[in-house]
Amino acid sequence: MSVLKISSVSKYFPGGTKAVDSFSLDVADGELVCLLGPSGSGKSTLLRMVGGFEDPSSGLITIDGEDITHLPPERRPTGMVFQSHALWTHMNVFDNLAFGLKLRRTGKSEIREKVEAVLDLVGLAGYGERKTHQLSGGQQQRVALARSLVLEPKILLLDEPFASLDQHLRERLREEVRDIQQRLKITTLFVTHGQDEALSMADRIVVMRDGRTEQIDRPDVVYRNPQTPFVAGFIGTMNLIDGEVAHGRFHRAGLSLDLPISDGPAILAMRPEALDLSLADQGQAVVHRVTDYGTHGLVDLDLPEAIRVKAMVDHPDRFSTGQSVNLAPRAVAAFRDGRQVFRS
Amino acid sequence: MATLVSRRIDWTGIVFAVLLTIAIIGPLLVVGIWAFTNVWRFPSIIPQEFGLRWWSATLARADVWSSISMSLTLASVVTLLSAIICLPAAYAFARLDFPGRDILFFSFLAGHAFPKFGLLVAIAAIFLQLNLIGTFWGVVLIQLVGTLLFMIWIPVAAFQAVDRRMEEAARDVGAGPFRVFWSITLPQAGPTIAAALLLSFVGTFYETEGAWLIGAPQVRTLPVLMISFINNQPVIQFGAVLSVLLWIPSFIALLFARRVVNSGSFARGFGG
Amino acid sequence: MRREPRPKRSQYSMTEHTAATVSVAGTRRGRKYAGLFLVAIPVFLVAWMVIWPILTAIPRSLMQVGTDGSTSFSFANYQFFFSDRYSLNNLTVTLWTTMVCAALLLVICLPLALYLRFTSNRIAAFVQSLAIFPMFVPSIILSYAFIRVLGPNGTVDLLLNGVGLPRIRSPYLTPWGPVIGLVWDNIPLTVLILVSGLGAVSNATIEAARDVGARRLAILWHIILPRITNSILVAISFGVLGIFSSFTLPYVLGPAAPEMMGPFMQRTFRDLQNPPMAITQAVITFAFCIVFGLFYIRSVAKNRTP
Repeated sequence: MSVLKISSVSKYFPGGTKAVDSFSLDVADGELVCLLGPSGSGKSTLLRMVGGFEDPSSGLITIDGEDITHLPPERRPTGMVFQSHALWTHMNVFDNLAFGLKLRRTGKSEIREKVEAVLDLVGLAGYGERKTHQLSGGQQQRVALARSLVLEPKILLLDEPFASLDQHLRERLREEVRDIQQRLKITTLFVTHGQDEALSMADRIVVMRDGRTEQIDRPDVVYRNPQTPFVAGFIGTMNLIDGEVAHGRFHRAGLSLDLPISDGPAILAMRPEALDLSLADQGQAVVHRVTDYGTHGLVDLDLPEAIRVKAMVDHPDRFSTGQSVNLAPRAVAAFRDGRQVFRS
Repeated sequence: MATLVSRRIDWTGIVFAVLLTIAIIGPLLVVGIWAFTNVWRFPSIIPQEFGLRWWSATLARADVWSSISMSLTLASVVTLLSAIICLPAAYAFARLDFPGRDILFFSFLAGHAFPKFGLLVAIAAIFLQLNLIGTFWGVVLIQLVGTLLFMIWIPVAAFQAVDRRMEEAARDVGAGPFRVFWSITLPQAGPTIAAALLLSFVGTFYETEGAWLIGAPQVRTLPVLMISFINNQPVIQFGAVLSVLLWIPSFIALLFARRVVNSGSFARGFGG
Repeated sequence: MRREPRPKRSQYSMTEHTAATVSVAGTRRGRKYAGLFLVAIPVFLVAWMVIWPILTAIPRSLMQVGTDGSTSFSFANYQFFFSDRYSLNNLTVTLWTTMVCAALLLVICLPLALYLRFTSNRIAAFVQSLAIFPMFVPSIILSYAFIRVLGPNGTVDLLLNGVGLPRIRSPYLTPWGPVIGLVWDNIPLTVLILVSGLGAVSNATIEAARDVGARRLAILWHIILPRITNSILVAISFGVLGIFSSFTLPYVLGPAAPEMMGPFMQRTFRDLQNPPMAITQAVITFAFCIVFGLFYIRSVAKNRTP
């Protein structure tokens, strides 16, 4: 039973830049929360503050109610898996895993048991005597995970652990990590800039930007119901069009849609998969390019005023460059002043 | 140019190789032959009699043994002291922030902006007042200063090359700062630091000028003894045997330090 | 993408950046002076045994001890040096040796470095090992070896005699003796510095020049040399600093008179027991080398950010 509480934590770097700005988050027992954001959004700094590698400028971090805000990393019940694994190359796999246990004065036989159990857990049983450089990238990252898990931390921290792996391996490993996390029911904070990773692994996603929270929600909610235009644009593909609302209708680039909000500027958001196309003479848009992905196709469309939108279609062979089409959105959202003001 | 040369026989290379072999290996080979020669009278092109006679004669001399032990003691003491004071300093320069860090780091260059022997004379004048001339510790001090630059600069580079996340991972599993240094940073930087220690040992072992100016004649290291052999010793073989003996540590250094010396970073350290 | 980028700064202030990364929670405040504490002893040694002697060398050289033990300042030491035939000859032979060595080093090492940069075969590896080899030969062994080779009844004499040719005039105990030894001794670092400088000339640049029809000499003159001017100057500075006040090689291989500044200072200090005069000679050596020293430091500092 471990709960992580982050309350109004800020981090200023010398020179006054705010890396993290008054950030708060509660992570429930056994929950996996993803910190998602572009580079520079403060997500790694935040994770490093939880791990003890950065000292918060203000705020409070507690684990099970115990204040750990200013404790050094060696005195925190957290275990961190680093990007590019950071295995100790002068030790073999066994020694990498046993190092932390030795520091805790664990008995020899107990160390052996624990190390073997955790190697088994990450699917590397029998690899103890290998040198770290004899392992593949995926195996190295598994050892790094095992190195943290063997100490049974209350909170597991993962700092873009798959960033240095190729696409295939990444997908496999994130399933494995998710399985292990659910089996151990370990409270986990995970940093990534890849939305696929966040969407497929997290119980909840924290979308961060410029050191602040944009939205905290379940993955499907973040995708379907983005609360800010930034989240809308950052998660998945989204067509965002700046326009003007007058008398309940949105106008821009030859489009005119019902949008029951007050008059003024607004950003219209439409997912490509929620956009129906129909061939038409003198249509609203011209097909710029058609890309066939096998399972579906993407059509790039040119609207007037040099605006381009994407639409997902089931039968891409029905469209070709230069055709004139009409578009009909099945679902739209609208944003004003950085907040969602309408969703159909 | 590379493509032009590599397809044909590399005549340029052969010419360089032959000339350098004659100029660089030649003289040392001659000394080597002399060391194993019992009799070699002019004008014979090869020695009349090979043998180990002069080895036993050289090794029977008390001054040879005392200077060997003096040189070994001196080099060990200097290397040890240098490691004790320089490695923590190098770690501080590589990893910590403190006021005046950059200027202090570059201050170690100061001694190298001046002609060495001139600087030695200036130091000797101070040692004269402190009665350090002709003492063992005077020579230790002068050699210690000579090792500072590379005993700090090379380990700094080694420490900086250690992945900081490795150290953080060790903190994460419960190691305190000192334990991290001992169990992670030092072993990771180990090979390069070993090369620096070796350089320090060999450099001190062979250093002639400081030892001669500050130490001689009371503190007699092997190179100092060698100078007196060259100046006063009519038997050629004594010097030749001593040269071969002297060269042993250098040969070991050659084997170990090759990798470090051949890397570009070494030359860059000299401003190349 | 590796970690949260902080605001862009110049390379110089990267140091703050690294320091900030290291600052682990709870230990930050104490660290500020821990660093100073760790570097204190080596810094003190440099201050005491390098900076202080250099700073006090000038006043010491101006100091005159009277017969009654009183001290006064005067330029007498300098007046003596610059009016003394013998001292001036020593200075001249030092300048001559330094210039000849620098010129010879360039003539020998530049072709060597060019060859090593543009060839990668086994012969080149062998040549490189040979060129670096003297670094591992202490100058005292080298001196001894040269006496055996070039000295009276040395190997050269033997070989010439063997084929029936007359003896050469041995360079041993002439100004040429130290020149040969010093060049030999300085080949490795000169070659290393030049090769490292040539590393900055990319193959693409040269291929582009050949593409527009430049011949080898033109490439050397217009493409390569301008790019390694700095390395050449560094190599020369390094050589000059080492050669100008070298001691062992000129002491063993050179003539008794005129002698180079190194042996001259040593003799003044130890044999003539005249430290103020020796320091005066040291200050004069410093003065002649200051330009090279500063240039050398500047280049090294530019290459190396702590």
